[in-house]
Amino acid sequence: MTKPILVAGGGGVGKTTLSAALAVAAARQGIRSLVVTVDPAKRLADALGLEGLGPEPSPHPSEPLLWAAMIDASASWAALAHRYADPAVADRMVSNPFFAAATNHFPASQSFAAAEEAANFLDARAWELVVIDTPPSAGGIEFFTSPSAMTDLVGGRLLRWLTGGRLPGRRFFFDRTARPALKMGDQILGASLLEGVAEFLMDLRTTYDGVAARSRQIETHLRNATTLVVTTADPTPIKEAIRFFRELPEVASRPAGVVFNRTLPEGWIDARPGRVRMELAENLQRWGSESRRQRDLRLEFASRYRTDLTTIPWKTTPPTDLDSLEAMVTDTEGISLLPLLRP
Amino acid sequence: MKTPPLVVVSGKGGVGKSAVAASVALSAHRAGARVLALSMVGNGAGLASHLGTGMLDTAPTEVRPGLFALTIDRSKALVEYLQVQMGLPAFATLGPAARAFDALASTAPAIREIVTIGKVAFEVRKKEWDLVVADAPPTGQIGSYLRAMKTISELVPTGKIREQAQWMEQILMTETNLMLVSIPEELPVSETGETLEWLQAEPLVKQVELVSNRVLPNLETDETNLPRGKAGDAARLHLLLQSEQRRWLEVLPPHHRLPFLFGVVTPSEVAARLSDEMDDWS
Repeated sequence: MTKPILVAGGGGVGKTTLSAALAVAAARQGIRSLVVTVDPAKRLADALGLEGLGPEPSPHPSEPLLWAAMIDASASWAALAHRYADPAVADRMVSNPFFAAATNHFPASQSFAAAEEAANFLDARAWELVVIDTPPSAGGIEFFTSPSAMTDLVGGRLLRWLTGGRLPGRRFFFDRTARPALKMGDQILGASLLEGVAEFLMDLRTTYDGVAARSRQIETHLRNATTLVVTTADPTPIKEAIRFFRELPEVASRPAGVVFNRTLPEGWIDARPGRVRMELAENLQRWGSESRRQRDLRLEFASRYRTDLTTIPWKTTPPTDLDSLEAMVTDTEGISLLPLLRP
Repeated sequence: MKTPPLVVVSGKGGVGKSAVAASVALSAHRAGARVLALSMVGNGAGLASHLGTGMLDTAPTEVRPGLFALTIDRSKALVEYLQVQMGLPAFATLGPAARAFDALASTAPAIREIVTIGKVAFEVRKKEWDLVVADAPPTGQIGSYLRAMKTISELVPTGKIREQAQWMEQILMTETNLMLVSIPEELPVSETGETLEWLQAEPLVKQVELVSNRVLPNLETDETNLPRGKAGDAARLHLLLQSEQRRWLEVLPPHHRLPFLFGVVTPSEVAARLSDEMDDWS
């Protein structure tokens, strides 16, 4: 039985590092663990002993129960097209001039590719624990909504309407119902633009059955996973953390807790500086006021969303080896993360 | 140099774009300018909170005398674009065709972007404002907005949209200051660096201005002789963060800096403090 932990949060909060730290701590407790990361910093890849980290999971040279893999975040529609469409159709889609533009317009395809990869690792049943570092696009929530977003896109109302039912064909596109919009579109955008878009959409439609079936499996995985929300006390990450607590119960499951990274010591609030130089006393007072802001925000968050709260102290150097990664999980304050790791 | 009439504020997500955009608007307003602040992202809640106002409307609303704000709603902007700029008849009467066109336009490349940037350019062209400040999409997306006119011109051989694209491109090239906000950390700085690089190869705006946000004050103290206890611990953290920040500040060409605001809670207080700093810039 594989236990999945999804580490969610906006960009720049230390999500990838915490994901690695959870897998390290678990491996050192005798749990066979895999960490799946998206775009790890070089420092972290080095810490995991995995300079050449690739999409295939590989074990750590000195920590045999610790495995790591990296998801290629750029694998997107090209991969999906080849997986779910006939080879000839897939080739035509990828060479369509609107393919690149459409991919940019619909970044959920990248999140979907990541979710799909993560699900593959869970299906493999080769680990007791799989820690998944979710990609931060669109505030991170997109990873969780991408299966339904993808299904909607390839089978949605627009496509059905444009392509005229289950068997798409060019003639349906020029069906009576579509004519006024197309005439207007032609006038403003030019006919060639619309034709290219239409062909792309119709090709996309052929992937519907495959995408829909896989989406349902991925959604089941997401609902059964344990989700941890990571944030710092900065405004943007906090907004994103709030979104997870509001929206995840609908699309996946209620987060198991919130982890505040880069926390200042509460002891600095209103601290007496003692007999020190004036610039040091003023500096302590400034950081004390920032520490108070952090604490007030944490307490308000925990009470408003009725959630477990874990804090990780602000370290001045990022973890550079397995020991410091493990310490990130064992030296927390508040609710311990260790029980979450048990299979 | 006279400030161009349009300031587009971008940067990596989370660096304080909305706060800086609001501060630019507040500072110019305080200097006597008639200012429009507009949000190109989401529902404009970030810009609104920094301006100390409630939800923004899609039409200019006076936040205080001489300072206006609005948010761009893409489907409304599309309707406005088609009616005002393309001269189409009242859109509502077109019924389902309008909705379908909206759906189609959001799939076709560059349409969404040109509608949004077009609304911004339209406000500049109205000449009702001394300054228009746009809280823009993050650096990862800003290129597709600034490039939307070129993309359209390449994709569409003829048609009204092509003519429209030309004057919008002019506004960016002759009247626009792109303000790139970063904080002195690795990822925001490298994103700013990459943006500067491609803008040098492909100039799309009149000028680019860099701003670093959340810069720590200098702590001048003897590092080797720090006391035990909290004051010493706080100093050690500060000195380490400060040296890290200095390293990233030096990567970029010389530019304006905005201070880290210790313990400041409300967005409107943040914008007020940052706009005070900007008063001394010019």
